[in-house]
Amino acid sequence: MSWAQGILLARGLSRGWGGICSTALTGVPFSQGPPQAPRGLHCSTAAHNPDSSLVPRPPEPPRGPVKALAPHVELFRQAPDGVRDKASFVQAVQNFTQYNVHKRGHVDFIYLALRKMREYGVERDLAVYNLLLDIFPKEVFRPRNIFHSIFLHYPRQQECGIAVLEQMENHGVMPNKETEFLLIQIFGRKSHPMLKFVRMKLWFTRFKNIDPFPISRDLPQDPVDLASLALRHMEPDLSARVTVYQMPLSKDSRDATDPTEPHIIGIQSPDQQAALAHHDPARPIFVEGPFSLWLRDKCVYYHILRADLLPPEEREVEEIPEEWNLYYPMQLDLAYGRSSWDDYEFNINEVEEGPVFAICMAGAHDQATLAKWIQGLQETNPALDRIPVVFRLSGSSGELLASSSGLEEPPLTPPEGQEEEENNQQRQQQSQS
Amino acid sequence: MSGCGLFLRSAAAARSCRALVAFTASRRSLRTSPPSQAFAKELFLGKIEKKEVFPFPEVSQDELNEINQFVGPVEKFFTEEVDSQKIDREGKIPNETLEKLKSLGLFGMQVPEEYGGLGLSNTMYARLGEIISLDSSIAVTLAAHQAIGLKGIILAGSEEQKARYLPRLASGEHVAAFCLTEPASGSDAASIRTRATLSEDKKHYVLHGSKVWITNGGLASVFTVFAKTEVVDSNGSVKDKVTAFIVERDFGGVTSGKPEDKLGIRGSNTCEVHFENTRVPVGNVLGEVGGGFKVAMNILNSGRFSMGSAVAGMLKTLIEMTAEYACTRKQFNRNLSEFGLIQEKFALMAQKAYVMESMAYLTAGMLDQPGFPDCSIEAAAVKVFSSEAAWQCVSEALQILGGSGYMRDYPYERILRDSRILLIFEGTNEILRMYIALTGLQHAGRILTARVKQLKQGNVTTILETVGQRLRDSLGRTVDLGLTGKLGVVHPSMADSAHKLEQNVHYFSRTVESLLLRFGKTIVEEQLVLKRVANVLINLYGMTAVLSRASRSIRVGLQNHDHEVLLANIFCTEAYHQNLCTLSQLDKHSPENLDELIKKVSQQVLKKRAYVCAHPLDRPS
Repeated sequence: MSWAQGILLARGLSRGWGGICSTALTGVPFSQGPPQAPRGLHCSTAAHNPDSSLVPRPPEPPRGPVKALAPHVELFRQAPDGVRDKASFVQAVQNFTQYNVHKRGHVDFIYLALRKMREYGVERDLAVYNLLLDIFPKEVFRPRNIFHSIFLHYPRQQECGIAVLEQMENHGVMPNKETEFLLIQIFGRKSHPMLKFVRMKLWFTRFKNIDPFPISRDLPQDPVDLASLALRHMEPDLSARVTVYQMPLSKDSRDATDPTEPHIIGIQSPDQQAALAHHDPARPIFVEGPFSLWLRDKCVYYHILRADLLPPEEREVEEIPEEWNLYYPMQLDLAYGRSSWDDYEFNINEVEEGPVFAICMAGAHDQATLAKWIQGLQETNPALDRIPVVFRLSGSSGELLASSSGLEEPPLTPPEGQEEEENNQQRQQQSQS
Repeated sequence: MSGCGLFLRSAAAARSCRALVAFTASRRSLRTSPPSQAFAKELFLGKIEKKEVFPFPEVSQDELNEINQFVGPVEKFFTEEVDSQKIDREGKIPNETLEKLKSLGLFGMQVPEEYGGLGLSNTMYARLGEIISLDSSIAVTLAAHQAIGLKGIILAGSEEQKARYLPRLASGEHVAAFCLTEPASGSDAASIRTRATLSEDKKHYVLHGSKVWITNGGLASVFTVFAKTEVVDSNGSVKDKVTAFIVERDFGGVTSGKPEDKLGIRGSNTCEVHFENTRVPVGNVLGEVGGGFKVAMNILNSGRFSMGSAVAGMLKTLIEMTAEYACTRKQFNRNLSEFGLIQEKFALMAQKAYVMESMAYLTAGMLDQPGFPDCSIEAAAVKVFSSEAAWQCVSEALQILGGSGYMRDYPYERILRDSRILLIFEGTNEILRMYIALTGLQHAGRILTARVKQLKQGNVTTILETVGQRLRDSLGRTVDLGLTGKLGVVHPSMADSAHKLEQNVHYFSRTVESLLLRFGKTIVEEQLVLKRVANVLINLYGMTAVLSRASRSIRVGLQNHDHEVLLANIFCTEAYHQNLCTLSQLDKHSPENLDELIKKVSQQVLKKRAYVCAHPLDRPS
């Protein structure tokens, strides 16, 4: 049997290729809808279009006699009060099974149901997927002999089963024992849906927690909560403190014509505070932004308060004070250092960046709002009173505006330097990954 | 009882004349004799300075009689009149007890006689410490008073300052406290915030700032305070430097907070001390202006050796108490003392007490030698060893006692709580390990500089020589540093242990050399390596101390010297294997060395600031 397994595996690996061949050779597309890109192990179109990877789109009308679809669509229209929830979806599926004892057209119905799942908000419900798989007639598609299992036995049905699993995968639904049981009952152990299932079981657990900076699936709706979540997400220092500088006005007044008080939320760590306190007041610091940050499907914008990197000649060399540690010497008075055999430092070419002193998220990206943020920061950072702050907002008219506190002649607007852009990109990557 | 105190005084006075004579004699020998090499530093180079540690330091018969005259009444007082449980419960030493301690002269044990103290040598101070430690609150109060509080005046004070303060401090009329720690500054002198500024008329310093965790802070009327002052450098720039001051409470502006509630040593007074606009006369600067750092270091380094004898004293009583219990408590018709697992614990306690006692008195004897030898590494080793042994032994004693060890009706839980502080104060053990290792490596590094340079430059002869040495070492050659043999200093009954010590010392020096070669001055950052170096050194010092002491015991024929030989051999064998293991971990690419993994784990934990693993009941989906 092992050679059969080997062949099966080989076929599974080259499934994309085989799919094309069979399509080309037979001329009968075994999946309705537009021909799909070959899907081998290495190319997955699913990432780009998660909802409709294997599920064919509704066919164009002149395509041929596909009357079977129409009644199924009716099933989903039947919801009496127009409520689209799990109960009505389950009802529709049950109606299909009751109405159609011979399960005629069940493949089309499953494809349709898969497309409809999102509308009913059940796309992450394992029980519903199992219910859909349950529609397949049992035992019928199981390979009876070795040749069945070598060749694609009931290809259309197997494709459909894979489509169900594929949609589960795209929504991050982990199949369970019941799924396995159903698949074995329907397609048998040596089938492509089972192969897919086993692979899901293997890789899901490994990839699920691969993100070192996970975000919860349900993001808070309140912009203040969302902003503080995003700020925490970006800030690596756990002792950093989130401050709400301004709460948005209450709901009824927000309906008024001008929302003069958008929310302003900032984050700053003690280290950043210390760095700001040591900043040379002769050098301006900049408010830059807005930069975008994606949290799942939401995009938020933030601004940073940063300074340029000190030129090398002005940097203070940090020297070890002579009388520092009361108990033991902090450095040895020896003429030789680490031998090269024990030097494990790699030569990493690091791009040095200017310090970032604080990050904020505001409801509006104009200078007036951000000036309020700076005012709020001044309470905890007295040094900020003496440092000129320059607003470099990419959304503004392009003119540089100096804040009231400083700088008579602001420097010309630098087009966003490459270094800064890198900086931002890194920041975003960090936050998104 | 007061007659007894008087007697002590007169004895001290009698001693003073003799001591004076001895002092002039010793001074002469100081000039002629070559500077003594510290024993521990030479261990890093693979040498055993036999002169320093063999034979075990002895005191003369007269001196011994004198010590016993001191010890008798003090011991009587501590066993009969001090109620440690009451002191612990009430969190205060009763005034009568303090008065009695003063009348016994215990507030000025190391103050020279001419200033009214007892003028005890380090050895005698260690001996008295054994008894004083029977109550740890009193021991800590006395130590804070004289081991650090007034030590600065003895070490760095001018004649004027000594005459002014020492008599009243020695009599206990004034209590001293040592004010160094601040909220932001533990061992980091650079972050001291307390500031002293010179007044307009240049006659006073005005002191501002607060100090925390000051032992005796509420009782003291004389403080040794460390504060930042502005000092003009030799090249004209103004710098902040630490200066030590003698501050009296009567100078004004000194307030102390309420006593802290502590885990152990609850009878000692620990509180915050605040200085606000305290005007300190210029004459009260201790040492030089800007020289406070050195003063603080000297004070801290000078007092550590006494912990060894104090803990040993405490352990001896603990052994008595637990042995009493183990020999009377019956289970399954057998005394607890008949069970092997219980017997093992007694052996452990006896061994640790023996080792730390030997180390402490050896160090005290070295310190008492003329020429003010630098024994700071040895003293730190004594402190680390004795504090850790104390914690281990007390914990084992509680294990022997079972449930009654845990009950507050018995003294054992108090001893456990009290002994925990030993690992923390006077420099935490971690910090002292760094001190031991780095000071020794600095010494070895300087001497080995030429050799290391030649090796690095690829000098063929040196490399061949080194390779040859290594080859001989790996073939398992016998190391002979002259401890045994015909003219050996170690008694033949411990020849095996002496060989073990020699072998350890030899391989230790090899390891030190290769560590210096590998890391150079960046070894400061390799704390896990330094910890191992310090551990080996502490063991080596302990082995030397027990060998020296047991050899002497045999030769002079002390009672039960065969028991001492047993203990010495046990300790040497154990320490030998520990050392071998540690030294092999210090090899490059050693499979026993898990430092990289350990660092990784701690980095991940600290990055999250939490326990990282998922719950064992979690499921992937």
